[in-house]
Amino acid sequence: MASSDVRDVLNLPSDHSAGPRPSKKRKTTAPRPNLKGLAREVQNLGGDNPIAIVPEVSFFKKRRFASRKPAARWELRSFINSARADNGALVLRHWKCKTEHGAPPPEHMQDGESRPAEDPVDGGQKGDTLEDSSFAKFNVKVSVPQYNDDQYQSNLQSSEWTKEETDYLLELAQEYDLRWPIIWDRYEFAPTPPPQEDGANGTSTAVVPAPKPRTMEDLKARYYEVAAKMMAVQKPAQYMTRPEFELYEMMQNFNPEQERKRKEFALNTMARSKDEAREEESLLLEIKRILARTERFNEERRELYRRLDYPATDSDINSFKSSAGLQALLQNLMSTDKSKKRKSILGPGDGVSPGGAVPNSAVSESGPHNRRESIAAAPSSSRRDSDVRGARGSAEPIPTTATSSSAAAAAAAAANKKKGGASTSTSASASAAPAPQERRKLSAHEEQVYGVSYHERLGSGPTFRYERINKLYSHKSGQQQMRMTNALAELDVPPRLVMPTAAVTAQFEVLWAAVTALVDLRKLSDKLEGEIKLEEAKRAERERARGVLGSHDGGDDNENGAGADADAEGGPDQADGIKEEPEAEKDKTDGTRPGSSGGGAHKRSASVLSSTSDKSAKRQKK
Amino acid sequence: MAPPTGKRVKGVQIFRPFVYGTTAKPFDEKTNPKPPGVPEDHTHSWTVFVKGIDDVDITYWLRRVQFKLHESIPNHVRMIEGEKGKPFLLHETGWGEFEIAIKLYYVPESAEKPQTLYHHLRLHPYGRTDEEKEAMRLNGGQVISWAYEEQLFNEPYEPFYEVLTSGALSSSSSSLSHNRTGSKSGGGGKGKDKDHGKQPVRSEGGVLEKSAMIPLTNRPGLPFSRETEQVEIKKLQEALVKVEELMNKTKDEVARKEKRLKELKAEAAKA
Repeated sequence: MASSDVRDVLNLPSDHSAGPRPSKKRKTTAPRPNLKGLAREVQNLGGDNPIAIVPEVSFFKKRRFASRKPAARWELRSFINSARADNGALVLRHWKCKTEHGAPPPEHMQDGESRPAEDPVDGGQKGDTLEDSSFAKFNVKVSVPQYNDDQYQSNLQSSEWTKEETDYLLELAQEYDLRWPIIWDRYEFAPTPPPQEDGANGTSTAVVPAPKPRTMEDLKARYYEVAAKMMAVQKPAQYMTRPEFELYEMMQNFNPEQERKRKEFALNTMARSKDEAREEESLLLEIKRILARTERFNEERRELYRRLDYPATDSDINSFKSSAGLQALLQNLMSTDKSKKRKSILGPGDGVSPGGAVPNSAVSESGPHNRRESIAAAPSSSRRDSDVRGARGSAEPIPTTATSSSAAAAAAAAANKKKGGASTSTSASASAAPAPQERRKLSAHEEQVYGVSYHERLGSGPTFRYERINKLYSHKSGQQQMRMTNALAELDVPPRLVMPTAAVTAQFEVLWAAVTALVDLRKLSDKLEGEIKLEEAKRAERERARGVLGSHDGGDDNENGAGADADAEGGPDQADGIKEEPEAEKDKTDGTRPGSSGGGAHKRSASVLSSTSDKSAKRQKK
Repeated sequence: MAPPTGKRVKGVQIFRPFVYGTTAKPFDEKTNPKPPGVPEDHTHSWTVFVKGIDDVDITYWLRRVQFKLHESIPNHVRMIEGEKGKPFLLHETGWGEFEIAIKLYYVPESAEKPQTLYHHLRLHPYGRTDEEKEAMRLNGGQVISWAYEEQLFNEPYEPFYEVLTSGALSSSSSSLSHNRTGSKSGGGGKGKDKDHGKQPVRSEGGVLEKSAMIPLTNRPGLPFSRETEQVEIKKLQEALVKVEELMNKTKDEVARKEKRLKELKAEAAKA
């Protein structure tokens, strides 16, 4: 209620706000939305602020038959299940909502209702229209590795497993979908006795090997081994996609022993009684406590040893007699102290035994600078480091000896000086030393992927694989090159290798060596051929000369011929110096030994004429 | 050329397969019309290229390629700069075959001198037998002369070794290469590793980026693969068997001839 209304009731004159009032009222009412379903009075109660009531709009259900469609048709449809092994012999039916397409036309609908009465033969009549069960797709079969005999021979041989047993295992794995407990349960491999023994005496069973008892781990190990190997056979490891490779690696790394232990542990854990469990817990706690205590104890002991440690005094103390020397000693001790503190923080891993602790601290005694330096330089560079120090002169003690601590003052003074000089060498060694250590080791897989190989001797720098083969050629003379090219062409080897990979070039080099030998041999053969020709020509010349000399020399000549034709049978009997004789003899040998080659025949032929013709024939053959 | 950084990695050889060669096509009204501005006597258009096997990126080891063409071609020395993921290509037209000198410039990390390959430009069908020529003629007139080659890096410098042995397998490269940033090469190497940190994608039997792998099987347009390699090895082995046969035959022949010669000589000595 506004104050104006009060005034109105009390009949008080509206002294100053007579004008603006009605206008104000109009203003407030005008924009107010007229809410439906709410009385005006109730709305006015809100005054200037509109009531924040969201009117509830109530929807009622539409009238049920407002959009009446014909009821969905359901029909009893027969179906088969392709997952069954009976090849669709069993036909069952189920109710299915009738769809527009594929459904029989509506006039058949009427007899569709009578279909339940019909027998499944009707469904069978429809034949290929029978739908497959929607559950058939859940009948998945595991894919077990497949192999043939060759692959088994080359990859899967095992001393533990015969091929028959492996086959049997894979069969079971297939049958029971790799459910190992079931496979193990059903595993009953009876090795078949050798067949010939079976036939000979069926009663003798002494040699039949007893079936080995297989644990589940054995079975798994064998299966994974086979699967991994076959996977690698089908696709080399570096070509596998990541998930494939992970699977491959997992199968390869299957450790039956570990698996067996794991199960044993699990069994034990589950079999223990409540008391045992409690005891175990308390034991674990105890161990933890003991460990913590030893650690603390060790820490204390180390600290103690450090405190017990004192600088040796067996070297001369002349250097400390001057005040400057004393000052240096003081400084040195202070810095040593500091470094000790730092060290106790730094090195909890230091040796706890006294033997380990003493030299350590002795080195640190010899001067903080040295220590820092030896930290800066990697351990592998210590040899280098000491070289550098040795070169610096004998005035300063070699800090690696533990007894030099007494000379620490001098060392400290010198160390300050040398710092500058040494810094270059240390930085150099520091940058050089870590590199070989840091070079990561590549796994075999990575080596394959990145094409990394290791060789004894290598000329550094980039080259091409084919260059090796080019070199093979270029190391030969021009004529030899020609011969090699011809020989290779004869062998149907292309002039340039299609894919000069490492394996191919290696193979080519073997071939190259063989062809080189062949070419050399041929050269030798050609040379011999030439010499034979020469000798034969000589002989022909001799014979002609002899023929001119007369027939009294004939016996002599024949002897010669016999010597030459050592293996020609019946040669010496024909004692005639006539030229035709050797010819005829040659014909005879040819006739009696048809298997002998042209070369053999020509060897026996005495006349130049026939031998040359033979030779030409041979050349043609070649 | 950048000064050598670090040391050479002793006893290590790393290879990278690649393909180079030419593809030529005669001008034809329908299929390959002559573009304007080409001289009258030019009969073919051709392309010379250097690319990774399976079209993988090779610019991480090959920076640029110089093609030296025949002197009669204007501006006959052409330098092609590497563009990431693209092959080194050069298109030209002409009428004659000649030898192209292909000079490979390696990335600065390698600190290696450029190397030269020679390739004969083929415009006309070639082959040892007529069938081979015929097969080439049927190939839409396209004359393909491609060669497979492997680039060997013997004892690469450490930074380059790092480049060559990382990036293909995402798991191994990232953590280790970051440790190396302390050394001088770290800056460059790290940046590269970053954009290769993502999982490499590849097809079935294909090759990884930045690896030395060769595809498992042939595909159209990619004639070089393990398959081809096996075929070639088999061929060489067969040839070897043949050589051995010939060898034995020749040996027999030589033995026979030696015997014959001895006989003849003995005869000559007697006479």
